[in-house]
Amino acid sequence: MKKRNILAILFFIAVYLAVPMEMSLASAELKTLIYDEAGLLNKEEYNELNVMANEYSAKRETDIIILTSTNDDNIDVMKMTEDFYDEKAPGYDKPNGNTVILTMDMRNRDFYLAGFYKGKEYLDEGRLNKINDKITPDLANGDYRLAFQKYIQTAYKYMGFRPGVNPDNILFNGWFQLAVSLGIGGIIVGTMAYRSGGRVTVNRQTYEDASTSGILERQDTYMRTTTTKRKIEKNNSGGSGGGGGGTTGGGHSHSGSRGSF
Amino acid sequence: MQVIDYKCPNCGSSMVFDSETGMLSCHSCGRKDDIEQFPDPLRENVFSEDEVVEYHCNSCGAIIMTESETSATVCSFCGAAVVLGDRLTGTLAPAKVIPFSISKEKAMDAFQKWCRNGRLTPNGFMTADRIKGITGLYVPFWLFELHNKIEVHGLGTKVRTYRRGDYQYTETQHFDVYRKIDLNYVQVPIDAAEKMNDELMDKLEPFPYDQLKSFKTAYLAGYIAEKYSYNDEELYPRAKEKVSAYINSSIQSAMSGYSTMSYTNKQIDTRLQHADYVLLPVWVVHYDYNKSEHTFAMNGQTGKVVGKPPISMAKVSAWFASITGASFISLKLIALMMGGGLW
Ligand SMILES: [Zn+2]
Ligand SMILES: [Zn+2]
Repeated sequence: MKKRNILAILFFIAVYLAVPMEMSLASAELKTLIYDEAGLLNKEEYNELNVMANEYSAKRETDIIILTSTNDDNIDVMKMTEDFYDEKAPGYDKPNGNTVILTMDMRNRDFYLAGFYKGKEYLDEGRLNKINDKITPDLANGDYRLAFQKYIQTAYKYMGFRPGVNPDNILFNGWFQLAVSLGIGGIIVGTMAYRSGGRVTVNRQTYEDASTSGILERQDTYMRTTTTKRKIEKNNSGGSGGGGGGTTGGGHSHSGSRGSF
Repeated sequence: MQVIDYKCPNCGSSMVFDSETGMLSCHSCGRKDDIEQFPDPLRENVFSEDEVVEYHCNSCGAIIMTESETSATVCSFCGAAVVLGDRLTGTLAPAKVIPFSISKEKAMDAFQKWCRNGRLTPNGFMTADRIKGITGLYVPFWLFELHNKIEVHGLGTKVRTYRRGDYQYTETQHFDVYRKIDLNYVQVPIDAAEKMNDELMDKLEPFPYDQLKSFKTAYLAGYIAEKYSYNDEELYPRAKEKVSAYINSSIQSAMSGYSTMSYTNKQIDTRLQHADYVLLPVWVVHYDYNKSEHTFAMNGQTGKVVGKPPISMAKVSAWFASITGASFISLKLIALMMGGGLW
C-alpha cells in the first residue's frame, strides 16, 4: 500500500532527525585553531581536537580557538586573550572576525572564555558561563582533552540556538522530542485499539430516576483551620563563573566568562 | 399445541415480523396485520405441564431442532417461523419486548460499514464471504428497579495558599460533611442469557425504552428468541454491582467542592423494587477471519455495533509511525520557532 510506505519513510526521517548528524570529514586544508603553548596535549590528542575544531568552526562560520600558556610574563588571562586576538587576528570570515577563544593560564590556573562578533552575539555571557560550568570539573581533574572537546562541542551546539533563548531547554533535546513523540503515538494508537471494540456509552444518569432521586439532607460543619508556612527560597542565578566581557586594545568588543581550576 | 406459527389467512404462507413497519407481514401476498390488535395465541392456549421432548413444525411436520433455551426459531426444513409457546408462559412469560427496527439488510450494511471504518482492522477483513451468519436474536434481559438510601460522612478540606513577605502560607479549613441521598435506578438492564458475553451486552446499551411494547409472540415471528438462563434473584448481585459504580460517582459529585475528601462512613441500603423480564433485539454476526471466529453484536434499535475486531499489526505500526513522526516534526518546528536549531 502506497500510503503505508510514505508513513514508514516519515518515521525514518523522524528518527534520522533525532540523531545528531555525524559530520563527514572535510578534506579542506586545516587551520591552526589550537595553540597549545603549554603542551597540555599529546600529538594524537592535538590532531584530533584540531580537526574537530575546524569542522565545527566551519559549520558555525566562527573560529573556535584554544590557547594554552605557561604565562611566563604573568599577564592576566583576560588581557592575554585580548592581546592574542589583536595580534593573531583570528576569525572565520576575516582577520579579527567571528571567533570564540578559550584561554588557559597554567601559571595561575585561570581560564577565560571570550566571544567576538558572531561569537559574541551567539555566545553571550550567560552561555559562556554555562560552558564554563561544564568544563570546570574536567579542568580541575586535569583531563584537558575532555574539557577541550566539551568546549568545542558545546560552543558549536549553543551557536545553533537563536540568541537570547536558553540552549539547555529540554524542548530542544532531540532525544526528549523523540521520547515524547513515541509516547504520544503509543497513547493514541493504544486508545484506538482499546476503543475498536465499542465503548460503554451509559453513565450514572442513564438509569437514574431524577424525579425521586436527590440529596435529602446536607451538612457541612466547619471544624477548624490549620495553617502552615514555608520560607520562599530566593533562587537567584548564582553564577560560579564571573568575569564579563570587555574591549581589546585594538577596539574589538567581546563577551566573556572567567574561571579557575 | 406447544408450537405457534403464523399462517397467512390469505395465502397460507408463513408470516414474519417486519422491522420496517412493525407489522406481522406476509412475504408472498403482502398482507400486513397490526400486532397490537392481533389475538395472541398464547392467551388462548393452555399448555400441558409435561416436559416436551420434541416440537414438530405445523407446516411440514419435521422435528424442530432447538437448543433448550430457544423460544422462537425458524423451521430448518421449510423456513416457517415458529414460536415455542411453552417456553414463553408462566414464569417464562416476558412482560415486554423491544421489537427490531433495523432489518437484516440494513444490519449487514451497517456491519460492513463499521468494519471498513475500523482504522486498525486488516484490509481483507470485510468481505462478504466471511460472514458465517447473521442472526436476529431476542436476548432475555431483566430490567431492575433498585432504590438506594445512602448516608455518607466524610472529612473534607479546603486549601488556600497565599504569599506574605518571604513566606508561602497554606491555610487548610477542615469540615465535617454529611449527605443523605436517595438514588433510585429504574430499568437497569442485565442480560440473562448464559451464552451472551456480559461485557458485550453492557456495551450495547442504551436501549430505547420508549420502544418497549407489551409482549406478543408475533414480534418473535421470523427471529430467534431465547428464554432466560438466570432468574432475577440470581442476577440481583450483578445489578447491584452495576449500580454501585453509579452510586459512588453520584456520592462524589454530591460531596464536591472540597480540595480533599475522605469518607469516614458510607451506608448504602439497596432495595430491589421489582424486575421485569423483557426481550431486547440484538443482531449477532459471526465472522471467520484467519481461522478464528469473531462475534459482533448490534443493537437492533440504535444500530450500535460492539465486538472485538481483529487488529492489523501493519496498520497499528503505520498509525504509530505516522503519529509519532508527525508529533516529532511538530516538536521540531516548535523548537525551531522558539529559537532552537533543527539539531
Ligand atoms: Zn399471504
Ligand atoms: Zn417446517
